Amino acid sequence: MSVQAPPAPTVLAKTPSRWERANKATLAMLGVTVALFVGFGIGADNFLSFDNMSNLATQVAITLIVAVAMTFVITTGQIDLSVGSTVAFVAVGTAEMLKAGWDSSIVIVAALAAGLFWGAVNGWLAAYQKIPPFIVTLATMSVIRGLAQLWTKGFSVPIDRRLYVAKIGEAKFLGFSALAWIALATVVIGGILLARTRFGNYVNGIGSQEESVRRAGVNTARIKMITLMLAGLAAGVAGLLTAARLGSGSANSGQGFELTVIAAVVLGGTDLFGGRGTMIGSIIGAVITGVIANGLTLLGVSPFLTPIVTGMVLLAAIWLNLRGRTLSELGAKLLGRT
Amino acid sequence: MGDQPLVTLKGITKSFGAVQSLRGVDLTLAPGEVLGLVGDNGAGKSTLMKVLAGAVQHDAGQITIDGREVRFASPADARRERIGIVYQDLALCDTLDVASNLFLGREPRKGPFIDRRAMHEKAAETLSDLHVRVKSTYQEIGHLSGGQRQAVAIARAVSFKPRVLILDEPTAALAVAEVRQVLAMIKDVAAQGVGVILITHRLQDLFEVCDRITVMYEGRSVEDEPVSDLDIERLVAMITRSGSEHTEEVA
Repeated sequence: MSVQAPPAPTVLAKTPSRWERANKATLAMLGVTVALFVGFGIGADNFLSFDNMSNLATQVAITLIVAVAMTFVITTGQIDLSVGSTVAFVAVGTAEMLKAGWDSSIVIVAALAAGLFWGAVNGWLAAYQKIPPFIVTLATMSVIRGLAQLWTKGFSVPIDRRLYVAKIGEAKFLGFSALAWIALATVVIGGILLARTRFGNYVNGIGSQEESVRRAGVNTARIKMITLMLAGLAAGVAGLLTAARLGSGSANSGQGFELTVIAAVVLGGTDLFGGRGTMIGSIIGAVITGVIANGLTLLGVSPFLTPIVTGMVLLAAIWLNLRGRTLSELGAKLLGRT
Repeated sequence: MGDQPLVTLKGITKSFGAVQSLRGVDLTLAPGEVLGLVGDNGAGKSTLMKVLAGAVQHDAGQITIDGREVRFASPADARRERIGIVYQDLALCDTLDVASNLFLGREPRKGPFIDRRAMHEKAAETLSDLHVRVKSTYQEIGHLSGGQRQAVAIARAVSFKPRVLILDEPTAALAVAEVRQVLAMIKDVAAQGVGVILITHRLQDLFEVCDRITVMYEGRSVEDEPVSDLDIERLVAMITRSGSEHTEEVA
């Protein structure tokens, strides 16, 4: 404050080196990814072929799209368990609307709106009614899938292959599927949103100390609601693409999908306690979960091994992610008892 | 000292559930005045200041600023009236860097994006001006010492160029030299016409910088005296309500 000849500035705005800035958990997982690629590359001849890489990108795409949105949710210190059910609901809705003769363009808009709607329901209950998001989305997980089952009475609804929506599932550009390109676009947008905008800053700040961000004049409830709406929207995209790819809509699709997505995000180094989100990490996490499934299939082991390995990977990811804190602290945080 | 009060609080009450933490507080602050707000733990000082900063909404009573009655629905409203505050808990985000904390809620932008380069440069400038010792504006707040964190929180409040500056225990984690600096800063901003409200347990600091002292007791403002009429024993007696003459006055 005092107006005197300023001495040499005591505080520097010097950018720290890349190594200092990097999320160490993410770096470790990058190492794991490389090891997995090398391991499967040696074990299965066709693993590193272009065709398989393109195939892998398609397999990872749907997980990755939702993982991008889930990164925001988890970084604010929330969780969304309902994304798998939303995928099923939107997949069923897409198939039913097409069956009813709606135009593909309207169906696409309606499918995304349905995803956004469920996200808004979760967001309003969690952010404005202050019910812990773990509880809210556990409940809506059951409600949303139940509605999808009630709608279809449990039958799978086929989609006419000649329709535009169905063609999205098969389209390819430059050797990669449309799904992979959509996932890439989602990651880029999500990455910019998280790292470059005020919204991204507040998402990190809320996960760290929400009250501090609120006292800085930010409407934190709105930001938290938006993150859950993004998760709903992403699940809507995922549901639409699932229906397009499978050529049918089933109320049983996306079972356990939320766990795969959460595993991908957490595996990538995004802090489960909030405050530290990394989009690159979520890509790495999604690739790891995809590579494990893809590689095990190529090695010719029993397909039933995949969920076992994925579950164990999730456990390992959470264990690494706790960083010295206990599981009961995490439980208290997720149930809003902190 | 100005003639028209800058801030007037009248009959402010606030309950949290069954707990009534403010039972009717009156307070005035003139431009360029340094007001000491004292009282025992739980007297309601911090809650009152949160009301004035918009972080807590009062139940009844009046807030008047420059003769205009205002009501703050959020901290953003209070900031628009240029009320700056250093909270007792500092209100920082541990996982964000120094510059992000300094500019939390008003990050400089280039189009839709945060202009990080400008933000860090301005942050370095502000902190250097205030002689805050932080190595880099890219450091995470959670990695700083208690004194550094407090200094960043003070720098943030001051950098708003507030008309009213509220300091809730601003020196609790500071070393002796840093306390001197904060006290000098208080005199400095007051000389520029800013009204300052200082909450502190260091009574000697009050005598050094304050013009007037308001005493709170169990959610009420009970005394209000110019500092020149007080000595440290009388002040302690006023806070603890032990002197018989005072109990009579309020009863």
